[in-house]
Amino acid sequence: MRLAPVAAAIVLSVAACAPSSPSTPAQSQDKVTLSVWGWGPEENYDKMFAAYEKLNPGVDVDARSFTTATEYDTILSTGLAGDSGPDLAWLRAGANLQPLVEAGRLLPLETSDVPGLKDYDEGVLRSAKGDKDGKVYGVPFAVQTLQVIYNKKIFADHGITPPRTWDDMIAAAEKLKANKIVPFAFGGKDDWMLPIVASIFGTATWGGDTFLDDVKAKRKTFTDPAFVEGIDQLNKLKPYFPDDVAGVSYTDAQILFSSGKAAMFPGGLWELNFFAENAKGVELGVFTPPAPKGGQGMMPGFTDGSYGISAKTRHKAEALKFAAWLASKDYGQLFTDTLSIFSAVPGVKPTDPLLEEVSTTFDKQGATYFMNEFAYGNPSSQTVFSKSLQEMLLGRITAEQAAEQLDKSVATWL
Amino acid sequence: MALSTTRRGSSYLFLIPAFVLYSLFVVYPLFTGLTYSVFSWKGTLRDTFVGFANYAGLLTESFRDQLLPALGHNFLLFAGTMLVQNTLGLAFALALSRVRRGKRALQTMFALPYLVNPLVIGYLWTLLLSPTFGPVNSLLRGVGLEGLAMPWLGDPATALPTVIVITTWQWVGFPMLLFSAALGGIPQEYAEAARTDGATSWQVFRRITLPLLRPAMATITILSFIGSMNTFALVYALGGSNGAPAGATDVLGLLFYRAAFASGDVNALGTSSALAVFMFTFIFGSTLLLERVLRRRT
Amino acid sequence: MRTLWIKLLLWGYAVFSMAPLVVMVLSSFRPTSEIFDEPIGLPTGSAFDNYAKAWTEASFSTYVVNSVIVVVSAVLLGAVVSLLAAYPLGRRRFGGRGLLTAYFISGMTLPAHLGVLPLFYLLESMGLVDSLLGLILVYAAGSIPFNVFVLTAFFRQLPYELDEAASLDGAGPLATFWHVMLPLVRPAIATVIVFQFVPLWNDFFYPLVLMRDESKLTLPVGLTHFFGEFQNDWGTLFAGLVMTTIPLVVLFVLATRQIVAGLTAGMNR
Repeated sequence: MRLAPVAAAIVLSVAACAPSSPSTPAQSQDKVTLSVWGWGPEENYDKMFAAYEKLNPGVDVDARSFTTATEYDTILSTGLAGDSGPDLAWLRAGANLQPLVEAGRLLPLETSDVPGLKDYDEGVLRSAKGDKDGKVYGVPFAVQTLQVIYNKKIFADHGITPPRTWDDMIAAAEKLKANKIVPFAFGGKDDWMLPIVASIFGTATWGGDTFLDDVKAKRKTFTDPAFVEGIDQLNKLKPYFPDDVAGVSYTDAQILFSSGKAAMFPGGLWELNFFAENAKGVELGVFTPPAPKGGQGMMPGFTDGSYGISAKTRHKAEALKFAAWLASKDYGQLFTDTLSIFSAVPGVKPTDPLLEEVSTTFDKQGATYFMNEFAYGNPSSQTVFSKSLQEMLLGRITAEQAAEQLDKSVATWL
Repeated sequence: MALSTTRRGSSYLFLIPAFVLYSLFVVYPLFTGLTYSVFSWKGTLRDTFVGFANYAGLLTESFRDQLLPALGHNFLLFAGTMLVQNTLGLAFALALSRVRRGKRALQTMFALPYLVNPLVIGYLWTLLLSPTFGPVNSLLRGVGLEGLAMPWLGDPATALPTVIVITTWQWVGFPMLLFSAALGGIPQEYAEAARTDGATSWQVFRRITLPLLRPAMATITILSFIGSMNTFALVYALGGSNGAPAGATDVLGLLFYRAAFASGDVNALGTSSALAVFMFTFIFGSTLLLERVLRRRT
Repeated sequence: MRTLWIKLLLWGYAVFSMAPLVVMVLSSFRPTSEIFDEPIGLPTGSAFDNYAKAWTEASFSTYVVNSVIVVVSAVLLGAVVSLLAAYPLGRRRFGGRGLLTAYFISGMTLPAHLGVLPLFYLLESMGLVDSLLGLILVYAAGSIPFNVFVLTAFFRQLPYELDEAASLDGAGPLATFWHVMLPLVRPAIATVIVFQFVPLWNDFFYPLVLMRDESKLTLPVGLTHFFGEFQNDWGTLFAGLVMTTIPLVVLFVLATRQIVAGLTAGMNR
């Protein structure tokens, strides 16, 4: 009982030596500072936002970058819950956005405030919506595509061209393997890569968005033979992956490709930036694996994230105006030129020739990356399926069993 | 009477600073965290009281399928730590007690890995053991042990034992230092007296040294148990948040991390708090039990 | 002959113990492209480029200063309050002693990340988010369970005649603690300091969540920035890793004698 006053005294004295103003940096009366949180290199954002500051002299945009790791989600959810959070923030796409939406931490965006939103592709915008209320909570900024990146020189040296048919691709892989070159640099140890690679080789087999819609409408399940066959492509390609593929890490796979020991790298578009910087001598090309049963393949893609506005922002009008700019073509072009990633803003054409090639393919053969649409539940279906695919690559379970495990996990929340 | 009262009062005075600091910044947040387990959550917003629903969630098939293997792996880690790390620590302490020159240098070298950030350690060892580039495997092939060159961290059969070896590498200095210290505290006369009575060195060790090391062993066992049950950073750095390969290195700490921070579940706080209550009850209960058993014998 | 075998075993393990760290140091002196081509190898020409880059681009100097302030204050504060608490818990009889000991030690068995959200709210209500003081208090409080566990055991094992002699001399509890007990447990203090210093020096979770201002981040957060920003640049990464580890190595080498002495004094009586 007697401890209570002592405790209170200590608390007070502790509070007294705390800095009086928690976190807002000193600012002049007339200038509004918008703080923006995100992941990825900070300099790039300072550069892009400087363009906005020039157009709007009364606004100072302060970009703050955290790590790409899972910690960002914790930092953001605590930040938005308290009083020291940002005005705007990068939001994850799809499932990971929902906790913030449901907690009421974000401002719903109307097309009257952010006119650019109405031009967005529905598939892109969906990733920034609340699942329950269907409202838009963010301005999507990037689209990532999944495909095979290849080393043009190795292809030329072995008289190989980007494959037109699945059999072409297998024949090319055989040829490379016979010449002691790893055909596909792929590491199965970091299991987040597994659904990505499965979708690169399998999406055409299970039929892209039509199949996903059927699963969502419960007309089909993941145990469907088409899906099983799709993920079974990984088993069929196993001879062309590195030895002990389940023990090869993601970075090992990157090094295999960048050092010229492997000819192809199935992965996301973001790898182009990595290889451009770390495989300077390697000339890069991209292709989408053809469908095993003939015909064109499909290029899966997903929206990477979006800019949302905190419900607690003290500068609502300025934040909305900034969001409107973020949804404009001006920003989209700046984004794609600065970062060499696709902008999610509709109608923006990348200047980089390789990106433009991918963009054209994606317009014709694009599909939705299946895993992001089914990443719900606790344990998350993504976790469950990544592990199942790893077990499949290790030869411990079959493709049917892996599909069954995904189906069972999805059934817990769908 | 008067004396004992003031003494008693002053005992509490000594305890106040630690009590306040610890209650405010450790117990209060953790306890509040535990009460989260009886509510459903919308992100960081508390929703409604749900009683034991979150606990029931832990028992659903999909969760149980991860919980039980993870718990099993924690126990295997504890067993491995006791068998490999602590036995080795004792052996080194005994061996070092016979070495004069270079003793300090050896002790320092054995303990140095403890200083390195666990994330860095995971990173380093992944590199060393990589089946494609790792020097460990090329070394094994080089000396003709082709059969031993394998994806140590990529094969479910070898992954957990490898984690135990790396844990040992990192932590062996700890039991070594504790045992060294305990050995230093045993008066030399005991062993000498026994030896003059004709005891072999094994008998001296078995009958004199070992019993006197019991308090040290109890301390090390308890700390190893807590350490093995709460392990997180190293396994996270070696096998990622899912305990790769195929969940072979999954442990309770990773399961909690996934449930709390990596699931994207709207009710993640409710589910993860229930899991934490389970973990706390289990680990704290077992520790008390262990402490009872171990301390009674000494 | 037998001692030769023992020496061989010990030095053999020392090689095993040091080899990965040597790889880390060697790699920090090599250009990234070379590490990619040949993961293990000797340094070449441009030896200090990585260090220069890590030091300037990652504002290491700020991080180092913050880390030193936070960790040193937290470790000292944690050690002082734990010493005060461990003394009665280990040596004196009073109501609720067993319960209080269990109360303190139970903190060791909880997953620490569980309390992060309530802790965040608590610190925010005190205006301590984004303040080094907040981090110091959290760290100091977090070190109490382990400190109390170890120090209580030390106090318990000191001979009981000491207290009696002191009280016969008319010394009060504070005087006994200060003049009689403290000198005896001094080596034990070195032990808890080192064993708390290392995990706090390496912790990145709390500063990530509790700190906002770039100028208030600590070294491990700088490291995670590193992992994010330089994941392609292993040479620089390794240089950063070596730089964060060196202060600990210095501390440890300096303190080994004290630790061993401390453990000897406390473990067995």
